[in-house]
Amino acid sequence: MASLTHASSHGHAEATWRPQANRLGLWLFILSETFLFGAFISSRFVAGTDHPEELNQPLALGLTLLLLVSSISAYLGEQAIAHDDRRGFVIGLSATMLLGLAFTVGVGFEFAEAAQHFPTSTVYGSNFVMLIGLHAFHVVTGLGALGVVLNLGRTGHFGSEDHWKVEAAVKYWHFVDLAWVVIYPSLYLMGRN
Amino acid sequence: MWPLVRAMVGALVGYLVGITITVLAGLGGVNSEVALVFGYTLGLVGWLYGIGLGRTWVREWRGLPARPDAIEGWRRYLTFSTDHKVIGVQYLTTFIAVLVLGGISALLMRIELSRAGETIMNAERFNMVMSMHGILMVAVAVAAVLGSFGNFMVPIMIGADDMAFPRLNAISYWLNVPVALGLILAPTVGSFDSGWTAYPPFSTVNNHGQTLFIVSVITFGLSSIFGGLNILVTVATMRAPGMTWGRLPIFVWGAVSASILSLTVTQFFAGALVLVEMDRIAGTTFFNAAGGGDPLLYQHLFWFYSHPAVYIMVLPSFGLSLEVITHMSRKPLFAYKASVVAMLSIVGLSLIVWAHHMFTSGMANYFHAPFMFLTESISIPTGIIFLSALGTMWRGRLRLEPPLLFGFIWVFQFLMGGVTGIFLADVATDINLQDTYFVVAHFHYTIMGGVVFGFLAGTHFWFPKISGRMYNKRLANIFAVWIGLAFQTTFIPMFWLGTNGMNRRIADYPEELENVNLFVSISAVVLGLGFVLFIGNMLHGAIKGPKTVGNPWSATTLEWQVASPPPEHNFHGVPTVLATPYTYGSTMRHAQLADEPITAPLVGTAYEGD
Amino acid sequence: MRGRRGDWSLLFVLWAVFIVIGELLAWKVDLLPGNYAREGEVVDEAYILLIALAVPVFAGVAATLLTMMVRHTTWKLGDAPPTEDGRYLPHHRTLTIVWVTVSALLAAGVAVNPGFVGLRDFRGEQRADHVIAVQAQRWSWQFTYENGAVATDELVLPVDERIRFDLSSIDIVHSFWIPAFRVKLDNVPGRTTQLYVTPEREGDHADNFNLRIQCAELCGLDHAKMAVPVRVVSGAEFDRYLNSLRTGV
Ligand code: HEA
Ligand code: HEA
Ligand code: CUA
Ligand SMILES: [Cu+2]
Repeated sequence: MASLTHASSHGHAEATWRPQANRLGLWLFILSETFLFGAFISSRFVAGTDHPEELNQPLALGLTLLLLVSSISAYLGEQAIAHDDRRGFVIGLSATMLLGLAFTVGVGFEFAEAAQHFPTSTVYGSNFVMLIGLHAFHVVTGLGALGVVLNLGRTGHFGSEDHWKVEAAVKYWHFVDLAWVVIYPSLYLMGRN
Repeated sequence: MWPLVRAMVGALVGYLVGITITVLAGLGGVNSEVALVFGYTLGLVGWLYGIGLGRTWVREWRGLPARPDAIEGWRRYLTFSTDHKVIGVQYLTTFIAVLVLGGISALLMRIELSRAGETIMNAERFNMVMSMHGILMVAVAVAAVLGSFGNFMVPIMIGADDMAFPRLNAISYWLNVPVALGLILAPTVGSFDSGWTAYPPFSTVNNHGQTLFIVSVITFGLSSIFGGLNILVTVATMRAPGMTWGRLPIFVWGAVSASILSLTVTQFFAGALVLVEMDRIAGTTFFNAAGGGDPLLYQHLFWFYSHPAVYIMVLPSFGLSLEVITHMSRKPLFAYKASVVAMLSIVGLSLIVWAHHMFTSGMANYFHAPFMFLTESISIPTGIIFLSALGTMWRGRLRLEPPLLFGFIWVFQFLMGGVTGIFLADVATDINLQDTYFVVAHFHYTIMGGVVFGFLAGTHFWFPKISGRMYNKRLANIFAVWIGLAFQTTFIPMFWLGTNGMNRRIADYPEELENVNLFVSISAVVLGLGFVLFIGNMLHGAIKGPKTVGNPWSATTLEWQVASPPPEHNFHGVPTVLATPYTYGSTMRHAQLADEPITAPLVGTAYEGD
Repeated sequence: MRGRRGDWSLLFVLWAVFIVIGELLAWKVDLLPGNYAREGEVVDEAYILLIALAVPVFAGVAATLLTMMVRHTTWKLGDAPPTEDGRYLPHHRTLTIVWVTVSALLAAGVAVNPGFVGLRDFRGEQRADHVIAVQAQRWSWQFTYENGAVATDELVLPVDERIRFDLSSIDIVHSFWIPAFRVKLDNVPGRTTQLYVTPEREGDHADNFNLRIQCAELCGLDHAKMAVPVRVVSGAEFDRYLNSLRTGV
C-alpha cells in the first residue's frame, strides 16, 4: 500500500520482500476490519435476533445478488490485467463499479423504508442503520479504490508483471462483499418476524 | 515549517467545509455536535492532505509521480518524514510532552484532593481534569513505548532499513496531532467529564466535549491500528538474513505481541464509541434503556478492547525491561523461549478476561466464576516474565547505571501492581474494591510503575543511540531514586484509602480520610517535581551532552553495532546475523573480546557486510 | 566471584524475614475498617487469605531482587563501557518447570479458595426477609420499603435479617455501595439488579463513616455527594421506624 515507488538501493533488496509485505499488510488490514464488523454484528444480537416483517425482502435479495455478481466481474477484471488484457480489465472493473453504484442506490431505498417502519428510536432500527451504514461506507470506499485503479489502468498503468494495486482493490472488494454475506442474514433472515 | 502550515490550512478548510455541509444539509447549527463531527472528520482529511498525502499518495492515485517535501536538518522533524528514525523521535518527544500535560493535570487533581471539601476547583471542573488525565495517560501508555522505540529500534534490531510501509507509518504519527488538539481543545465546548471509560448513558447526555473525545479517540485508535500493522509486517517480512524468529531480540517480541492486539481489538473501542456518538447525534437507542437499549452492551464492547489494551501497554514494556536488564546484567536473557511463549499466551488470554471489570455491573452471575478463573490464570505467563528478569539478573555483572536502576524499580513495582491485580480478580474482594482507590493504586502500579518506568528505562538505555550523546548519569540516578521513592509514598497509601472507603472519581471525600490524602498529595508533588530533573537532563544531554562512543553499554544486539546515531539507512549493505542476540559469556564472545576493542561489532548479532 | 552458597543463603534469609514481617503486618495491622455485615465477613476473609498468600510470592521476588542488588551490583558509576560478562546461562529447564508449576498451583488454588468458595459464601441463599427497592437518580437515592413507606435521607435496616435490595435507576448508571458491608452493585437503567445483604451489627454513621451508601459509578457533578447514611437497628426499632415513616411522624 505504501510507496511502491520508494525504491531504495540500500538494505536487502526491496524486490524480494515487497510483494510479501504488501500481501500480508492487506490481509492484516482485512483481519482488523473483521473485528470492526464483529463489534457491530455482536451488538446487533444483544437485543435478540428477531426482525420486523416490514423488511423489503425482495429488494435485499436483489442487492445481495448484485454484490455477488460484482465480485465475479471484479475477479474477471483482475484476471484480465494479469494477462495483459487491458480491454477486459476495463470492462470487468467498470461493470463492478456499476453494480456497486446500483447497490448503493438500493441501500438508499432501504434507508428510506427503514426510517418509515423501524426508526432509529428502536433497537432493531438502530442496529439496522448502523450495520447497513457501516457497510455502505465500505462500499463507497471500495468504489473509490476501484475508481482509482480503473483510471490508472485505463491510462496504461499495470500489466501482467505489476498489478498489485488492482489485486489489492479487488481483494478489498471481495471482503466488502463477504461482509454483506454475513450482515444480510443477520438482519433479514435470522430469527422470527 | 511549510508542510505544517499547509496542514493547518488544510485542516481549517476541511473544518469549515464540514460545518457548511452540516448547516446547508439542515443537520444542525454551527455549534451543534453534528457540525463538530463533520468538521473534525473533514478537518482530519484536510490535515493529512496538507501534511504530505497530497504530494504523495494522492498524486500517485492520479497517475503522477510523488513529490514528497525535501526538507533537511532539524526541520524534517516537522514534516511528513517517512524515515522510521525521525518518526520514532517525533513520537518520543510528543509523548513525553503528553506525559507532562497528563502529569500536570494529575497534580491539579491532587491539589484539589489534598483537603476535604473544595480547594481549587469545583466538582464539575474536577471531573473534567480527571477525565483529561485519564485519557492523556492512557494514550501515553499505549503509544509511548511502541511509537517511539517500536519505530526507532525494531527495524534496526531486525536488520532492516525502514518499516514496511513508511508512509503509513508517517500517517500513524501525524494522526496523533489532531487527537491531541481535539482533546486539549475540548474545554472550549465544555470538556468531557465521564472518565476515560466514557460509560453511557452518562456519555450520551453530557457536554459537547464528549463528542470531541469520541472522534479524537477513534483517530487515536486508527493510528495504533496502522502502527501495529506496520510492525507486524515489518518483522514478518523484512528480517535480515540469519535473523530467524528465534533470534529476535525480546523487545521485538514484545512489540509484535502488542501489535497483534492493537491491530485487532482496537476496532471494538472505535465501534463502541461510534455507537455512543450515534446515540448522541442520530437518535439511536443502543444504550438508552427507554428505547430498549442496554448500557451493559457498551461495557462489554469497551472492555473487550480495554482489557487487552492494558497488555498493549505493558507487553512492549515487558520486552523493553527484559532487554535492558539483559544488557545491564551482561548475561543472556534467561528462559528466552519461555518468555516468548508467555507473551503470546498473554495475547491469547487477554481476549477472554474482559468481564473482570464488570463484576459489580449487574451482568448475569454465571459470568463471575469463569472470568475470575481466566483472569487469575494470566498470572502464570506473567510470572514467567519475572522468572526471566530474575534469572537474567542472577549473578550477573550488574553495574550502577540509570537503565539498571529503572530495571530494578520496574520489577518491584510491576510485581506490586500484578499481585494487587489478583485481589481485583477475586470476585468477593472486587465487589468491595471495585471503583475505589485500591483500583487506582493497582493501575498506577501497573501502568505508571510498569509501563512508564519501563519507558524511562528504555529512554535512558537508548538515549545515546538516538542522540549520539550521553546525559548526566549521576543526575539520572538521582532522578531514578527520587521518583522510585516518591512513587511508593504516593501510591501505597491509595491501597489503604481504597479499603477504607474512598471511591474513585470524587472531588470530595469523608473528612476521616483527610490526612492520608494530604500525604498522598504532597508525595505526588514531589514525584512531579522529579520529572523536572528528567526533562532538564534529557534536553541538556541532547544538546550539550558529551558525544558517546557507538556502543556505550557494549551491548550485543544489532542496533548497537551501527554508529550512534544510526546512519541514514541504518546499515551499509545487508547485515547477516550469525547468532542469538544475547551471547554474553559465551565462548564465541570470549574469543571476540580477546582481540578487539569493545566498541567494535561483537559476535552475537554482529553483522557482515559493508 | 563470590561464594555461590552466599547467594542462596542470603536469598532464603531475606525471604524468611520478609515473610515473617509481611504476615505479621497482615495479621496485626487492622487493614480493614469495621465490618457490619455477614457478606463483609466473607470479603474480609478472602482479603486476608489473599494477603497471606501474596506475601510469600512478593517476598520471594523482592528477596531475589535485593540479593542481586546486595551481592552482584557494583554501586559505582562507570565511565567506560563494561568489559566483563557474566556467566553464559541462557536457561534452566528444571527451574522453569518448577516456577511454572508452582505459579499454576497458586493460581488454581487462589481461584478455588477464596475464589469459588468466597463467591459461593458471598452469594448465600437467594431468600430474603425484607425487600427494599432502591431507585437511584442524579444525585439522590430513594428507598421504598415493603409497606410502601418511602425515605430518601437515610437507610434504616434491621439487624440479623436478610435483605434484598432491588436496584434500579431512572437516568444513568449509578452504583450502590455500602463500604461497611463490603457490598456493591450497579443501578442500571432498564433493568433491576438484586443485591442480598445481612447486617449483623447495630450502628450508625456517627459510629463509622463507612456506614453510608456511596454512589460508586461516576455520574457527573455531585457523584461524590451522592451518599446517604445507613443505620442498622434492632428488629423492633426497625418496625417502629417503618410505622413512623408511613404515618409521617
Ligand atoms: C498496564 C496495565 C495493567 C496491567 C498489566 C494489569 C494487570 C492485571 N490487572 Fe489490572 N487494571 C489496569 C491496568 C493493568 N492491569 C487498569 C488501567 C485498570 C482500571 C481500569 C479502569 O477502571 O479505569 C485495571 C483494573 C483491573 C481490574 C478491575 C478492577 C475493578 O474496576 O473492579 C482487575 C480485576 O480483575 C484487574 C486485574 C489485573 C490482573 C489479574 C492483572 C495481571 O495481569 C497481573 C499478573 C501479574 C502478577 C500476578 C504478578 C507476577 C506473577 C508472579 C510473581 C507469579 C506468581 C503469582 C501468582 C500465581 C499469583 N485489573
Ligand atoms: C500512564 C498512565 C498514568 C500515569 C503516569 C499517571 C500519573 C499520575 N496519576 Fe493517574 N490515572 C491514570 C493513568 C496515569 N496516571 C488513569 C488511566 C486514571 C483513571 C482516570 C479515570 O478514572 O478515568 C488515573 C487516575 C488518577 C487518579 C484518580 C482520580 C479519580 O479517580 O478521581 C489520581 C488521584 O490521585 C491520579 C494521580 C496520579 C498522579 C499523582 C500521577 C503522577 O505520577 C504524576 C507525576 C507528574 C508528572 C509526570 C508531571 C511532571 C511535570 C512537571 C512537574 C512539569 C515540568 C514541566 C516542564 C519541565 C516544562 N491518577
Ligand atoms: Cu450516582 Cu455516582
Ligand atoms: Cu482488565
